[in-house]
Amino acid sequence: MSLFISDVKHVSPVEEKKAQNRVMRLKQAVQDAKPGICTERAVIWTAYHKDGTNRRKPVCVQMAEALRNVLLQKTIAIYPDELIVGNFSSKRVGGSIFPELHGVPVLMDIFKFSKRKTNPLQVSGREIATLLKIVPFWMFRFLALKAYKNPLKKIALALHQLKGHFYVINESGGISHIAPDYETLITIGTEGIREKACRTQEKFKKSTAQWEFLEGVKIVCDALSAFGRRYARLAHDMAVSEPDADRKEELLTIAHVCERVPQKGASTLQEALQSIFLAQIAINLESLDNAVSPGRMDQYLYPFYKKDIEDGRLTHLEAKERIAAFSIKMAEIIPVFSDYLTRVHGGMFNGQVITVGGVDREGNDCVNPLTSIFLEVMDELRMRQPNYHARIASVSGTDYLKKINDTLALGSGSPALYNDDVIIDTMTSHGYSVADARDYTAVGCVEPVSQGKSFASTDAALFNMPVVLEMALNQGKKFGSVMRSGTRTKPASEMTSMADVKNAFEAQLAFQIKKMIGDLRAIETANMSHHPTPLTSMLLDGCVEKGVCSTKGGARYNFSGIQCVAPADTGDALYAIEKAVFTDRKMSLFDLVGHLQKNLEDPRMMVYLKGIPKFGNDMAEVDKWTVYVVEQFITQLSLFENTRGGKYVAGLYSVTVHDHFGRVTGALSHGRRKGESFSSGISPVNGMDKEGPTALINSVNRIDSRKIANGINFNLKFDAHTLKGETGKKALQSILNTYFKKGGMQVQVNVIDPAMLIAARDNPDLYPNLLVRVSGYSSYFNDLTPEMKEEIIRRSTICI
Amino acid sequence: MNGNKGQPAIIFDIQRFSLHDGPGIRTTVFLKGCPLSCAWCQNPESISRDPEMAFYKESCLGCFECKLVCPKNAIMDSEEKRVRHEVCDACGKCANVCVSRGLRRIGERWGREKLIQTLLKDEAFFEESGGGITFSGGEPMLQHHFLYDVLPYLKEKGLHINIETSGMFRWERMERMLPFFDLIYFDLKHMDRSLHKTYTGVDNRLILENFLKLSRSFENLQARMPVIPGINDDVENIMKTAQYLIHANSRTIHLLPYHPLGESKLLRIHSSLRALNINPHQPEDLERIEGLFKKEGIDVVIYQ
Ligand code: SF4
Ligand code: SF4
Repeated sequence: MSLFISDVKHVSPVEEKKAQNRVMRLKQAVQDAKPGICTERAVIWTAYHKDGTNRRKPVCVQMAEALRNVLLQKTIAIYPDELIVGNFSSKRVGGSIFPELHGVPVLMDIFKFSKRKTNPLQVSGREIATLLKIVPFWMFRFLALKAYKNPLKKIALALHQLKGHFYVINESGGISHIAPDYETLITIGTEGIREKACRTQEKFKKSTAQWEFLEGVKIVCDALSAFGRRYARLAHDMAVSEPDADRKEELLTIAHVCERVPQKGASTLQEALQSIFLAQIAINLESLDNAVSPGRMDQYLYPFYKKDIEDGRLTHLEAKERIAAFSIKMAEIIPVFSDYLTRVHGGMFNGQVITVGGVDREGNDCVNPLTSIFLEVMDELRMRQPNYHARIASVSGTDYLKKINDTLALGSGSPALYNDDVIIDTMTSHGYSVADARDYTAVGCVEPVSQGKSFASTDAALFNMPVVLEMALNQGKKFGSVMRSGTRTKPASEMTSMADVKNAFEAQLAFQIKKMIGDLRAIETANMSHHPTPLTSMLLDGCVEKGVCSTKGGARYNFSGIQCVAPADTGDALYAIEKAVFTDRKMSLFDLVGHLQKNLEDPRMMVYLKGIPKFGNDMAEVDKWTVYVVEQFITQLSLFENTRGGKYVAGLYSVTVHDHFGRVTGALSHGRRKGESFSSGISPVNGMDKEGPTALINSVNRIDSRKIANGINFNLKFDAHTLKGETGKKALQSILNTYFKKGGMQVQVNVIDPAMLIAARDNPDLYPNLLVRVSGYSSYFNDLTPEMKEEIIRRSTICI
Repeated sequence: MNGNKGQPAIIFDIQRFSLHDGPGIRTTVFLKGCPLSCAWCQNPESISRDPEMAFYKESCLGCFECKLVCPKNAIMDSEEKRVRHEVCDACGKCANVCVSRGLRRIGERWGREKLIQTLLKDEAFFEESGGGITFSGGEPMLQHHFLYDVLPYLKEKGLHINIETSGMFRWERMERMLPFFDLIYFDLKHMDRSLHKTYTGVDNRLILENFLKLSRSFENLQARMPVIPGINDDVENIMKTAQYLIHANSRTIHLLPYHPLGESKLLRIHSSLRALNINPHQPEDLERIEGLFKKEGIDVVIYQ
């Protein structure tokens, strides 16, 4: 019998209804809550660092103690109906400020947060005053300013970061992007980890870096245990005055659970979920609150589920209820983005990923009843967070595949799908052991890492590819600029072949990548010396064993992921040059560049260039240019190593930064005027894939995804009509199967009814909870900028 | 293979990822030219055998580059119409200079090799989905020489092949190709001979005769019927159609409900057809028609 059709004991409809009602009430409460900014972390962190005696302590201890203070002093709350407790912020849905990281630049927007149209965040006058008070202390202390000693370089980097013309470095806001080793946490608890740290510490002398790091780990372990006990006490107190007998019982259970975890290993599913959620909060408070991904929950939770069921402690329905409650809690955690960061990173997205299915460490199909529960919870809740991803292996069972396919055909937009064969291959060829590669999960948007073992900084930086071509055509300057921001290459008038164009392009690319890596390594070093992360590190295999922080390369696997943004725009622009100038000889390159400098003001010229075939239509001679761009990026990136001893690897996804890069890049030869958005991820230039999904897949598969170790984001969009009925479902299944068989790495399926989107744009109140996939993640439509909304609407009206 | 080897086909469209022209994911080849000219035609640009020019006024920039290059002086200044079809020989020179695709040539010559290459691009998808190639039109049988030339190759590749026909063909031409087809979609438009002629321009005798012959010699014959409000949806015609199907030992029919989308194309080309200006069926009308067929023992599939 298939394991997937779960061994559900019969539950009474009354019980089922009760569970559903609770879940729906929890969801409602979270969705109704107005997202806000919480000042607590910033205030407590600042108070700690203002104390001069603290600043003289080893930096690992500083970080651990500051985090301890946050966990012990922040407001805690248990909300009605909750089974899994823990509040990230003082608001039901809220975000924190990290003044020592990117907090100061974020605070420049402080007066705008509550009034802005996109993602307004509640912040009261009193809170604003509180936050303003801490700015002076951090003004010259935040991380980006610590990257360079030389004040000129300091300013250059700060300015560059603000404008983000060529690349955007994210590590200046902290690193994160991990799939913590929650399996260890729920097996041995913080006390077990503490013990390990003590054992390693004995090997080192006091005041060695290792000793200090492990001291930090011990402090954090204790803090996390105490954080749990705070909830135990609160639950207990609430139980005393709770009139409702059922709720009283629940509160006492919560008290009992939090008394034990996260300090001890979990003994039940509820304890495991509780332990993980408290750790999830703490990690999000330690450094960058982004892409902290629980990962393969259906795998490491399964033993707990199984035991609970076998011991008769829990029904399938109760398990699902608890998992739903956990899932909803994850949506309470949001990032605080300034307007600029919103443009770069899109709607209130913090990339917490849950991955289900696929193969286990031995390569066997590991789908289990929990897999099914997670997929149902995902589909029934349809909330912005977490992101659900499903792994597809050649050994995956048909029940599992069918369940996913049917969910997608009905337009859930999730889960995103990952091809085990390709990803495991890619990871092993980049240095992972086979077993660790098989144990991968995505973090953030689409980036594969080994659960609990990788410190892969998968969103270290995003690189603007098309601007490199702009520079290549203009001797290293942006159009209209007198300043040379690239390297000097041949003027267009002297380029007589595509080889010349390629030479200039490659030279500009080398220049810009080298510059980015320089900045990035400076920031890496700043993180290493000023913002170590003992908590994150203790949940990554290798750090405690070696006594080395993850920011220093303590984890077993180290990488930095850099995104190649808008390869299709760049490839199409190159093809257009080849065709218009060198094949069809419609004009000289000099003339073409003249048109670009004038922003294609002649509509005939623009229309002509737009009409030249584009990537995504299964035309080898066109697609080869996008392949060229991607390969150039990978090759040049591979020349460098990060300060943690890891490789820089390429990713092909862009969240929403393609829109931002589009705004700051001049006109390009594929008929795009200055300022227009670029295409997202690996997608063709907007609306130019005219031959349908089969042709699009053939084009995309020309890029060798096995070289894209940081993951790709491939969107397949269908209008609802196409996927209707059995014919539609079958077609979708065939499309996905073929894509994967042909070596596709990742895909997400969007089903869009444009009428609904237009209605939602014109009347935001009509569909407050309309979810759309943006780039590897879901966002509420209302959370998007007007431009992004237009983009999503436009995408959806192009029928495939 | 035969004497006409190498003669190109005139094709007006190739649609990949077709889901409704037979099983699975298919590539549909639309061959130009049709002996019928149905009043409700969805592809009026398919009727004429020869390439023709279409004008998309929404795309036109009004630059009149087209006028400069036309050797026949066939370009007009009007905003609504651009081509004087009486003099235009569809040389396509205007379309070549039109950057905005305001002018397009409908119907291109496709050689055997190029077509085969294009059709094989989605081979993996056909295989996975149980799909293949569908030849549609127009009336594909008008280009039987070309079909006879490519079919053996496609068959050898193991592709599932379907043809959508109006039934208007010489029997011998179909007969020799039967071994290459896996499926035939055959349109039955009206049972009444004179009404058939009124609405399609041709008599239905040959069509009905061909259907009977096919039903005896070919296994996967599927009848289809475009149902047009007020033209062929009356009880009498439905009953006659059903009885005819029973006579031919056919037990299912696919109904293609009328929609007016094709009529918007009429303005772009030179066509003798006029918009019907009728309203599409409501779901309940279609249910009624389905009921009539079912009563006679014919199963019905309605296309959305
Ligand atoms: S060349 Fe094209 S765009 Fe210009 S007038 Fe003629 S049809 Fe219109
Ligand atoms: S197809 Fe040739 S003849 Fe006809 S309008 Fe165009 S250029 Fe003139």
